[in-house]
Amino acid sequence: MTAHVTELLAPASAGTLDASESERVAAHLAECPACAARALEWRQLAEAMRRLPQPRPQPALVARTREAVEALVAERAERAFNRAALAFVVGLAWTLAIFGWLVFDLVAGELALRLARPIGSAAAWYAAYLLAGWLAAGAAAVLLGRNVQEGRTV
Amino acid sequence: MEADREDAAKLLRGDTSGLAGLMTRHQDRLFRYLLRLVGDPSVAEDVFQQTWLQVAEKIRRYDAERPFAPWLVTVARNLALDQLRRLRPVSLEEADEPAAPASGSDPLERAMTRQTTARVDAALGTLGPLDREVLSLRFEDELELPELATTLGVPLPTAKARLYRALERLRGKLLTPASAGERR
Repeated sequence: MTAHVTELLAPASAGTLDASESERVAAHLAECPACAARALEWRQLAEAMRRLPQPRPQPALVARTREAVEALVAERAERAFNRAALAFVVGLAWTLAIFGWLVFDLVAGELALRLARPIGSAAAWYAAYLLAGWLAAGAAAVLLGRNVQEGRTV
Repeated sequence: MEADREDAAKLLRGDTSGLAGLMTRHQDRLFRYLLRLVGDPSVAEDVFQQTWLQVAEKIRRYDAERPFAPWLVTVARNLALDQLRRLRPVSLEEADEPAAPASGSDPLERAMTRQTTARVDAALGTLGPLDREVLSLRFEDELELPELATTLGVPLPTAKARLYRALERLRGKLLTPASAGERR
């Protein structure tokens, strides 16, 4: 009789033996009723595993999950849009600030000529003008952000 | 796989119709996997939802050249194991004492004659999460050993050893009538 194959019976039931091992098991089972009986038990166990009830998610869970993911995706899209919009606005603001200085310098020079007296440092006026502009823009952004947050929580 | 790839690309673009397709194809398998792994329907539901949220968050990391299902299971597995560690900070290998070794074919034969699918289900519930996981992946999802190893994130010999050990434990539970009826 060939050697017992006890250690191969679990792998056999799991269908994970290679060809040579399968042949060895088949040859032994043909001549060993004890191992054949054990192999049958293992097979029954494996078949029972394959017949287990198949639980499925409740439709309410699926619907809830879809809603949650859709909300997340929408929020992510909104954040991406906000980031792009912010980058555009900041870029535009700096462009205007740089070109604005040239215009401001020209206008201030012209004004001083027409008034025939100095009007103070054009750079200082321009810095004050910029500072006021940035503060106003910042305050507007904060107020807008708060309104959006309140709208979401209502 | 092509449908998964297209739906993943849609989701990446922020189109949630992609999510609907992915969920329709994978939700049943995912839920069953999670339920086997965590053993508790309410925890499984929680992790199910977290998994899809993570899928939406991390869809950029999904390699569309590979099948979607194993990636999904990996995401779910990490979340489920984290959750299990929080809920039960002990070894995930086994739920309780090691199964009694098989002692001859007669008791097992008797047990197997009596056994029903429900009994195996109950015995499965008494195993540790990792045992339930590997058995479910092999017998219910019918993953081949290499896929099984990839999904578990372990080398092939480890996956094999884990599968056979889980089978032995399940068999041991069926031989021990007292433990087979209890769920965890």
